[in-house]
Amino acid sequence: MFLKFLFYISAFLTVFGAISVVVTRNLIHSCVYLLFSLIGVAGLYLTLNAEFIAATQLVVYVGGIVVLLLFAIMLTGGSNLKVLVNKFGLESTPLMGNLKTYIFAALSGLVLAAVLIKILFSSLLKSSTVSNNFFTTVEDVGVKLLTDHILAFELSSVLLLGALVGAAIIARPQRSTEVEE
Amino acid sequence: MNQTIVSYIEHLTDKQFGFGITVALFFLAVFLLVNVMAIIGGLGTYAERKISADIQMRQGPNRVGPYGILQFLADGVKMIMKEDIIPTQADKLIFTIAPLLCLSGVLASLAVLPISSGFTLSDLNVGIFYLLGVTSLVGVGVFLGGYASNSKWAMLGGMRGASQIISYEVPVTLTILMMVMLAGGLSLNTLISGQTALPHGWYIFHNPFSFIGFFIYFIGALAETNRAPFDLPEAESELVSGYHTEYSGMRFAFFALAEYIEVFVVCAVATALFLGGYKVPFNVGGDGPIGQILQLVIFFSKSFALYYVVIWVRWTLPRLRVDHLMVICWKYLTPIALFNLVGATLWVYLFEGRSIYLILKHFAEAHMVGGGH
Amino acid sequence: MEPSQTANVYLPTFILILMATLMVFGALLVGKFLRPSNPNKLKQMAYECGEDPVGTAWANFNVRFYVIALVFIVFDVEGALMFPVVAVFRKFMEVGSGGAVLMSLLIFIGVLVQGVIYCWKKGDLDWVKSYRSPKELKK
Repeated sequence: MFLKFLFYISAFLTVFGAISVVVTRNLIHSCVYLLFSLIGVAGLYLTLNAEFIAATQLVVYVGGIVVLLLFAIMLTGGSNLKVLVNKFGLESTPLMGNLKTYIFAALSGLVLAAVLIKILFSSLLKSSTVSNNFFTTVEDVGVKLLTDHILAFELSSVLLLGALVGAAIIARPQRSTEVEE
Repeated sequence: MNQTIVSYIEHLTDKQFGFGITVALFFLAVFLLVNVMAIIGGLGTYAERKISADIQMRQGPNRVGPYGILQFLADGVKMIMKEDIIPTQADKLIFTIAPLLCLSGVLASLAVLPISSGFTLSDLNVGIFYLLGVTSLVGVGVFLGGYASNSKWAMLGGMRGASQIISYEVPVTLTILMMVMLAGGLSLNTLISGQTALPHGWYIFHNPFSFIGFFIYFIGALAETNRAPFDLPEAESELVSGYHTEYSGMRFAFFALAEYIEVFVVCAVATALFLGGYKVPFNVGGDGPIGQILQLVIFFSKSFALYYVVIWVRWTLPRLRVDHLMVICWKYLTPIALFNLVGATLWVYLFEGRSIYLILKHFAEAHMVGGGH
Repeated sequence: MEPSQTANVYLPTFILILMATLMVFGALLVGKFLRPSNPNKLKQMAYECGEDPVGTAWANFNVRFYVIALVFIVFDVEGALMFPVVAVFRKFMEVGSGGAVLMSLLIFIGVLVQGVIYCWKKGDLDWVKSYRSPKELKK
């Protein structure tokens, strides 16, 4: 009973958060709506009894990625961009009116529609009571990480190392002094 | 194992509650706890002023009520009656949401606070991890508060505050990892049940790494709450008031309330992780209602003792400069926390997870047995 | 299989967030009837120690905030990955394969410590960047 309620609230948060991210004009407002959307996704994980993943979502996404995004928006000057208006009174974006843009948009629209139709029909035709007999508590995830997926565990540390070094190099400010020959 | 306060009540009265009654009971329990926490937050301001007065050899508030104890109520009434000024250049939506985020983050962390074995609102399986996640909402709230005010002091204070909060989460996470390893589970009740009530069983005395870990956790968590000597984001003499410069009246009261409740939550988690939590010596009272009340008393007295230490530290040490802050975090606390984690892992592996007390006892018994025969 | 906790265990979290929202909006609503409201231009300007505010607020942003946030994300994900592993460490030790878990944990931490050492040596963790000569940085 509470699970249904939790699902409705989380789904509402996720969907409307996501729509608001795309629709708002202000960049920081988008970030705040993204925060709400990610909290909704954490709630959705809870309805599947994946409590560890929900907590990880909170810790990593809400606590880290949103702050990172906010700092990144500050770094790139925020939303002080001038809005150009074309002859129809709509916002004019770069590459608008280019043929390649329209072809690409049509193709991606077709692919997206095909995927959505396939998912919707397959879920509507099957029986609606699917018992999810997987539940991930922390112990289960830990055991699996240490036995079945130990290589993935170790490789993820190497991946994190690569991310750290790459980010540090990219974010380093360029020195304007000459390079010694 | 008790999971929520409602399941504890069910266990006591041997009844099964329907969904409606469960929700009503939860509302009641949450309402009670939030009120108690708000009063603790308010008394915290009073205690801070009295203790700081004591340290500085003056009187402190002593007019409103006996010994000035109703001062925080007077402050609260004053704040409600103040004019609600939203600066013209501020971002109205975010201006309203920022204190809400801070307060939500702190109040949501109250759900897993281990006040006693039965009265814990909800003993989540991922308790301490959930706590970490929810307290990072406060960081986002601080940043948005600084941004929304759209003034230079506030923006700088907000950015510094947010970067301070996220930096100090790293040693805190590493120390909590170490305690989780000693206990064997993430839920706060598991963490407490691995300790005994008398000091020799507390995790702080379990091995030298967890002893250092207590101080790392305390310093790190204190820095996370933007509390002196780490209060540069709200420094009165430097940034006017940092990220809450432009907030007045009730909006500022939410920030302040969130900060004081967060300090209490930090002290409570420190007692749960390191100082034996709510365990009563010799298990007086067992699991029944009397035992629960004793556990409440023990828990709150330990937390208040740590709260006093927090206030003491604030009025004793000078404020740290911002680059000192970051240097302490990244070049001292994080390497020490990593070293602690590795050391504790080796300790648990080599000594099968026994504490120093148990090892010494084992040693002494083996010697006595060997010498006696 | 039964989940180990019923969903009711998340009810307090939800009620607490609801109560936070009610507190904020309720107090502001109550205050609307109780407080004066005389906005004037001077009160609503940004506070800049008595002077009129000059310029926008997008002052002097430094990239060091962003680098700190990046390094934090890496450590956060590392912590999140290590939580299940340390939670089951003692169970593995009872079964007897504690050494293997110890080794894998040490390798994991070791790889990340190398990242920390790299950032430290290259000066990314300094708050105030000391201007080193290019020769020093190329080492």
